[in-house]
Amino acid sequence: MADRTSERKQEWLISAPSMVWLTVLFLAPTLLVFAISFRPSTPFGGVGEGWTLQTIRELANPNYPAIIWRTVWLSLATTVICLGLAVPCAYFMARARARWKPVLLMLVIIPFWTNFLIRIFAWKVLLHPEGLVKKLLLAVGLVEPRDILMYNENAVLLVLVYSYLSFAILPIYAAAEKFDFSLLEAAMDLGATRLRAFLQVFLPGISRGLITAALVVFIPALGSYVIPDLMGGPSGEMIGNKIAQRVFVDRNLPHASALAAVLTLAVVVPMVAVIFLQRQKKPARAKEAGG
Amino acid sequence: MKRSRIPLYTTLVCLLFFYLPIIILIVNSFNKSRFGSVWGGFSLRWYQKLMENRDVWFALKNTAIIAVSATIVSMVLGTLAAFALHRYRSRLQNAHYTLVYTPLVVPDILMGMSLLLLFVQVKVQLSLFTIFLAHVTFCISYVAMVVLARLQDFDFSVVEAARDLGASTRQVVTGVLLPLLAPGILAGGLLAFTLSIDDFVITFFVAGPGSTTLPIQIYSMIKHGSPPVINALSTILLAVTFVMVWLSQRLTEEKTTS
Amino acid sequence: MIRKWFIALCCLLPLTGFAQDKVLHIYNWSEYLNPDLITAFEEQYDCRVKQDYFDSNEALYAKLKAGAGGYDLIFPSSYMVSIMAEQGMLQELNHDLIPNLKHIDRSFLKLTEDRDMKYSVQYMVGSTGIGYIDGRVEMDEPSWAIFANEEYAGRMTLLNDMREVIGAALKYLGYSLNTTDEAQLDEAAEVAIAWKKNIAKYESEQYKNGLVSLEFLVSQGYSGDVMQGMEENEDIAYVIPKEGTSLYSDDMAIPVGAENAELAHAFINFLHEPENAASNTDFVWYLCPNTASYEFLSEEVKEDPAVFLDPEVVAKSEVIRDLGEENAKYVKVWDRIKAAQ
Repeated sequence: MADRTSERKQEWLISAPSMVWLTVLFLAPTLLVFAISFRPSTPFGGVGEGWTLQTIRELANPNYPAIIWRTVWLSLATTVICLGLAVPCAYFMARARARWKPVLLMLVIIPFWTNFLIRIFAWKVLLHPEGLVKKLLLAVGLVEPRDILMYNENAVLLVLVYSYLSFAILPIYAAAEKFDFSLLEAAMDLGATRLRAFLQVFLPGISRGLITAALVVFIPALGSYVIPDLMGGPSGEMIGNKIAQRVFVDRNLPHASALAAVLTLAVVVPMVAVIFLQRQKKPARAKEAGG
Repeated sequence: MKRSRIPLYTTLVCLLFFYLPIIILIVNSFNKSRFGSVWGGFSLRWYQKLMENRDVWFALKNTAIIAVSATIVSMVLGTLAAFALHRYRSRLQNAHYTLVYTPLVVPDILMGMSLLLLFVQVKVQLSLFTIFLAHVTFCISYVAMVVLARLQDFDFSVVEAARDLGASTRQVVTGVLLPLLAPGILAGGLLAFTLSIDDFVITFFVAGPGSTTLPIQIYSMIKHGSPPVINALSTILLAVTFVMVWLSQRLTEEKTTS
Repeated sequence: MIRKWFIALCCLLPLTGFAQDKVLHIYNWSEYLNPDLITAFEEQYDCRVKQDYFDSNEALYAKLKAGAGGYDLIFPSSYMVSIMAEQGMLQELNHDLIPNLKHIDRSFLKLTEDRDMKYSVQYMVGSTGIGYIDGRVEMDEPSWAIFANEEYAGRMTLLNDMREVIGAALKYLGYSLNTTDEAQLDEAAEVAIAWKKNIAKYESEQYKNGLVSLEFLVSQGYSGDVMQGMEENEDIAYVIPKEGTSLYSDDMAIPVGAENAELAHAFINFLHEPENAASNTDFVWYLCPNTASYEFLSEEVKEDPAVFLDPEVVAKSEVIRDLGEENAKYVKVWDRIKAAQ
């Protein structure tokens, strides 16, 4: 019995540091965002006294649906394109010769670790209206001299895909590594076509990797702020830009909080649900999570 | 049996996609011409200009201070968290797990904004210190997840053996557990270090006087600075990244061979 | 081994800390101060000057409100000075420490609201206008109407600033850019939405680089920024539209809570030393309103009509004023413009 209590004490002792830190600096601020959404704003950028539903009502702003829709579809499109490219890549990497694997892996990891501002900047140089890509496309007659490659939704999408592709490849590769490829051959021996074996045997076999990949692309994409800021045009705003504008330009913290609260709910509720399901179904935890 | 060529081609396209912008950026950093689309001859003058830019050096110093201190603190907190999560099954750990996991999936802008609100409400002055607090907060979770993954592969019979031989808990932890888990903890630390060096959005929200970090400096240079100088800076950072990735690969290999 | 390494690292931690010598923290617009002057000041006063940058008055205000205390000197535009003074965010200046105030050019005082220099001293004055590439753009009669010209669609930028963009549209229609009349604002919104179709983006910072590299051909921009661009690309030209524009004065002020207020006073005085003021004007291409400095200016600057504003231009133009509660009307119009397809 004494053993149980000392065990319990020890558990608390080694859990406390991270729990306290994250409660004070993660949980409390997140709750604060929700609380401030119900505060009035003062014209001089402060947070007023008392409670109000005014800010929540302002979320019915007729301009928001367009921004939310743009945010969602850009994030979804980014996720779909990233997965579409990542699955064949991961398949190839997992089946590559042992000698090549570390090289391929390193080639994928390097962009993942490169400062993302620099990667965005590289595209700005490349897509310059009188830059290299434009000249090439002009030469082969794919664009008109007056077409602009940057400052539109396509450019934002392109750079989003570029930024998150390696996030998608890594977990799928981790899953494909563990996949038993003889199953594919077996399926084909039993008469399945190559496509069918791929769809019905390989994809289900790496489903955990696919889910992780989809989440690590979709969620950060939802919160994008810098990419639409640098690559987007006058109509390229996403929710992240609106939040930044409310904080840094409009001096309206409650309104920014309300927007942030909506985004938080959109992200966290499904996530917590997934974690809970996973943890209850399977005591071994998501390994890919750290990736 | 013939395999499909599609995966090979996709991989090649992806690699080209990854590296084309980077290669052009590196080439341009040695381009004498100010304009990226013409080659004006080889030159190191942008590197020279970069060296003369004292804002960059100052930002680099801030980044180093924050990355080193945030990495150390988050390594300690994250490793402890991973131990607790691995060792115990209880309602407390369920809550703990949620608390550690959620920061991984919350978009940066939300974390930055909520921390800013917290600092405003409790009237903490924004400074290097607030950036440090923010960075530890998001690094803990990454370290914990990496160490946790290593713990799952860990053969705990070694610990039992040490116990049987009469080692105390402290001896087990410092003599057996930590050394064996060191590659995992270091890998977590390395990840925290790169994340800290790289973070722009959260830092942007909580930065105060004199606490410009390298990403903030880069952002401001993208907006105002001379593009070729950014090319030069990027090339140097790419070289550093390359070395770091290589190092971490070595660490991983050591772990698998030991 | 690992333990030693770990302890060594832990010992490093306090070293990485936050020790300070005498440092002047300034919060400024970027490219807005000749770096040689900073070096000279550091030598003369045996201190360090650390500069951070903001990109709009609102961002400056938000950061200070959010608790970025510790700045010794800030450079808000004059309307922001009024707001901050009213909010009790600024210290009263000690005129005894700034003897060079006697050089301030009185003729530009009308651009500021703090005419007794109780809280602020004028730093630079300038105008908002149009920067364009000569030879690629036809600009016979400078007008805001250029932004309606589809010829340059996708290669033009407007400032990412609601007051400047709506203000330009109001000016184009012949209204005051400080209007609070909703009918006028509605009309301006329509004009701005039409312009929006032709612009590449709303951009307050990158347009200078964009003009230099020919990414943009026409940009609504601040006079000095555009002219700094000319030093790198001589095809760039700057004009003020015939309908008039906004003029501004950026001022120096010391926030409450400054750690080195005395040093900040010294820096204000140093920047208004006539030779220094002139070298600063030569560098940033805005005008430091310091009468005694004019004789030290380079010929080029002295003759530039964009630096020394033409009285005719001044007559047609206005200074943006803060509208307090009415500000919300502009936020609404701006949201509408930004959301329009």
